[in-house]
Amino acid sequence: MRSDPEIITKSAIAGLLAWVIPGAGHFWLGKRGFAAVFFVAITFPYFTGLALGGIKLSVNPYFNGWLFLAEMGIGGYTLPAYLLNERGEFPARKAAELATSQTVPPTDPQRMKLNELTSYYPGADVAQIYLAVAGLLNLLAIFDAMMRVQAKGLPVFYHEAGMRLEDADAETARGSS
Amino acid sequence: MIAAWAPLAMLFWQPIELPLRMRLVMFLPLALCIAAVYRATRSKRVEDLPKSTALAFMNITLGMGALAVGAYCLYELVLWWS
Repeated sequence: MRSDPEIITKSAIAGLLAWVIPGAGHFWLGKRGFAAVFFVAITFPYFTGLALGGIKLSVNPYFNGWLFLAEMGIGGYTLPAYLLNERGEFPARKAAELATSQTVPPTDPQRMKLNELTSYYPGADVAQIYLAVAGLLNLLAIFDAMMRVQAKGLPVFYHEAGMRLEDADAETARGSS
Repeated sequence: MIAAWAPLAMLFWQPIELPLRMRLVMFLPLALCIAAVYRATRSKRVEDLPKSTALAFMNITLGMGALAVGAYCLYELVLWWS
């Protein structure tokens, strides 16, 4: 871990960009191949999950707080989705209360309207898994982007892959000479 | 920013219905994405990714398949026992 202020700033920017859009941190670091891989491999499950689950109850902290927390691994997708969810006839809190209410009968017109925006088994289960996995995968991408700044291009798990920081230093020195 | 997202988000307003038989098939693309991200966090060069991702995908798929068979056998055993 390097404590140079410039590296810390660069690392924070890479992490923040990766949090906003998957792969953006790597793109900013000039690692465009990795950026494309992270973007596709994280954006695909996120939007597939969203399409299967529907935005109303899938990006809703009042309905499923843990799922929302995992989704927040991709802030650039989840925050706009949540803000959109707050608009319309059923804001997030109202939708969650209506969906979980024991007193509102299933024949209630509002509940029936909400049912049209609600996903059920098996789509709902698959959607939750896809969304949670996408958010958590982006945490890996964020750490990787930050680590590649700290370790001069080496991946986040470079110890496990048998790489050494000295090798990256030597390669960088060769590249600059 | 929200205005820019609005038309895209409208596509996700009404959930797509997933046929029951597709439930297990949906595991495969997710496993591929997990394999790609996992291997990307362990690769120095992007050129190493296709082979290592394919290997990781095979490992995950076969591992999960073996776990499913094991769990099914355990389930049958418990049923037979009780």
